[in-house]
Amino acid sequence: MNFLTFLVENINYLGGIALFLIGLHIVVTHSNLIKRIMGINIMGTGVFLFFVAIGYVKDGIPPIIIGGEPIYINPVPSVLILTGIVVSVSITVYSLALTIRIYQTFGTIDQKEISKLIQEEEYHD
Amino acid sequence: MINQLPILQLLLFLGMALSIPLLRKRRFNTTLRLGFIVLCLVLISSIFIYIHVISEGPILYYFGNHAQRLGIEFKVDAFSSFFTMFIVILAMIIYIYSSGDQTEGIEEKEYGRYYILFFILMMSMFGILYTNDLFNTYVFIEILSITTCAIISIKRKKDTYTSAFRYVMLNEIGSLSYLFGVALIYMATGYTNMTLVYESISQVWQTFPVNLIIAISFMIVGLGIKAAVFPFHIWLPDAHSSAPSTSSAILSAIVVKVYILVLTKVLFRVYGIDVLEALNIPVILMVLASIGMIMGSVFAIAQKDVKRMLGYSSVAQVGYIILGISLLTHDGLRAAFFHILSHGLMKTALFLSAGAIIFYKKTRRINDFDGLGYIMPVAMGLFSIAGLGMIGIPLTSGFISKLNLGLAVLELESWILLAIIIVSSLLNVIYYLPIIISAFLKNEKYHYRLETIEKTPKGMLIPLIILGVLIIGLGVFPEPIMNLIEYAITSLQA
Amino acid sequence: MEDKIVKTMTRMLLPFIQLYGIFIILNGHISPGGGFAGGAMIGTSLILYTIVFGLPKARKKFSHRAAEFMESGGLILYVAIGLIALIFGLPFLTNIEAGFSLGEPGKIFSAGMIPIIMIGIGIKVFSTMVSLFHILIEEEIS
Repeated sequence: MNFLTFLVENINYLGGIALFLIGLHIVVTHSNLIKRIMGINIMGTGVFLFFVAIGYVKDGIPPIIIGGEPIYINPVPSVLILTGIVVSVSITVYSLALTIRIYQTFGTIDQKEISKLIQEEEYHD
Repeated sequence: MINQLPILQLLLFLGMALSIPLLRKRRFNTTLRLGFIVLCLVLISSIFIYIHVISEGPILYYFGNHAQRLGIEFKVDAFSSFFTMFIVILAMIIYIYSSGDQTEGIEEKEYGRYYILFFILMMSMFGILYTNDLFNTYVFIEILSITTCAIISIKRKKDTYTSAFRYVMLNEIGSLSYLFGVALIYMATGYTNMTLVYESISQVWQTFPVNLIIAISFMIVGLGIKAAVFPFHIWLPDAHSSAPSTSSAILSAIVVKVYILVLTKVLFRVYGIDVLEALNIPVILMVLASIGMIMGSVFAIAQKDVKRMLGYSSVAQVGYIILGISLLTHDGLRAAFFHILSHGLMKTALFLSAGAIIFYKKTRRINDFDGLGYIMPVAMGLFSIAGLGMIGIPLTSGFISKLNLGLAVLELESWILLAIIIVSSLLNVIYYLPIIISAFLKNEKYHYRLETIEKTPKGMLIPLIILGVLIIGLGVFPEPIMNLIEYAITSLQA
Repeated sequence: MEDKIVKTMTRMLLPFIQLYGIFIILNGHISPGGGFAGGAMIGTSLILYTIVFGLPKARKKFSHRAAEFMESGGLILYVAIGLIALIFGLPFLTNIEAGFSLGEPGKIFSAGMIPIIMIGIGIKVFSTMVSLFHILIEEEIS
């Protein structure tokens, strides 16, 4: 029972950690370049989820003034993550532009075949 | 008025980067001269800030005039302004070299883009050193990562793209690990401002020890990937072997050091020495540094390409600096900061002279360096001076930093670390000394006479000579710089 | 694309998407959203136009010169508003003490300099998204 209540109360944090680890696994094991970029995005989403979940106050409402004395959630982490999302988007765009160039040069976007092509060239040198 | 100088420096760099596309119609020399004027202005203002900060205490600058726990703060003290002076001086030397560079490392139409990236890089490095907020550091670190990646992959060759892709992937994992560490610290303390976090951690570290240990571990891994500490250094040799020589100099001499400075700031200003020793953190850093010092040199011995060898040598030298920081004593920090300075100068000299040699001889293999001392005396001479400095011969600055590191280790009476330092220095000799000897003594293959001297352009010679003078000058008169470093260390621990 | 339905629906929907994006930018200080989200919406509308009608027509609507102006214009607007505070001796980006008026909360013309900065951010995000997309597509065709 204790384990289940721990799981339900901290589900946001556990989700963030799980996404981070899944993203790391994708970047390390897959060899297709586009899948690796998606893995970086998933890792980023995991960290952002963890950060935003810190600001959640139980039974709170979004921080918009409507009158009365309600309990607001903490808006500071959400504002910080807004900047973080924009940074993550710009890194994704840069990686995609590099992938287009690699495809035009090598003809493939699989990391193993690219290594083979480079090794053959060095062998011929 | 002097309070506004830090933000004006950042805006000056940004304005210079934005106005380079506007000057596209005129000749390129106007852009180069304007850039040099901007760098001189920033150097003069840095010296002013340094003199002000030593006499009157740190400058605290609150953006938007908000309170300390709500807004972003810039804290300019002796530590920040000392290292910004160092960065600007090295950047000026590399700038003069690259403006006189005729080695066709960069194509004609890419020149404008190269300098835009250069100035945005300078702005982000200044931002990292000045800021007092953990999340603001993350934003500036990301700007630095993207511009560094673009500046090393500016040539359009095949191996540039794959090494740049690997660089981006690894650096992004590093940044996200750093952000995860910041999130854990925010969870335990509730602030992101560094001074408020320090006060909070000193009260709270016994109730949340696991949070703080995991946070500092993520930060060490993240910043270690970006600073090329041993197990995470895989991207550095590939990035060096496919980049133009000025970009390699910027990457290995300045950018890598800024990440080590961020780690120092986090360790000393956010956590504090007592909490670190209670949580047993320095052992991790000592182990990583020791393995890095030895394995970096071992890998460098086996290389045939001169730029890859210099890349692996950087990995070993970063190990020295991290060892100095992990001792957590006054002498250790002094040795580490002096080694940051001297390694910056020596690596820049090595890469810039290697760039000139590679262009004029059209070869990159170490075996082809025979007899080069007779064709290109100045470039090869500077390579030799910097190489002797890396080994640690007296009269160069490398000797002073190794001496200080040895003394700092002896203070803690740790014989193992002293043995590792000596073994690593001997390994350094194995791969630097043969190049120097074969360049000046082995002349049988080519029979060069002194009349066949290649003419390297003046724009490339002057920075090399300045670097040589600085390396030997720091080795013979280290006292003035040591005094400045003392101010920096006391302001770091205040 | 050659499909008549997609072309007609895009032509009808595009003004509404852009109007909604402008609404979110201007109400950045009252409700969630702000410069980033609104700029992303307007950018998405032009990306949709590019995908449906092809690159040459989209280039006529959003040329190189317009992109250059908007990118640097947004950034210069942001920095200029921040520098106004430096004239009074206050730190960068100060709001109330630098003379911007705080109206009543809940109206559009309130909260000092925040709506102006939101407009600058919105213009920069939208022009960056569209020009990056055009550059990636151009590389693929050529």
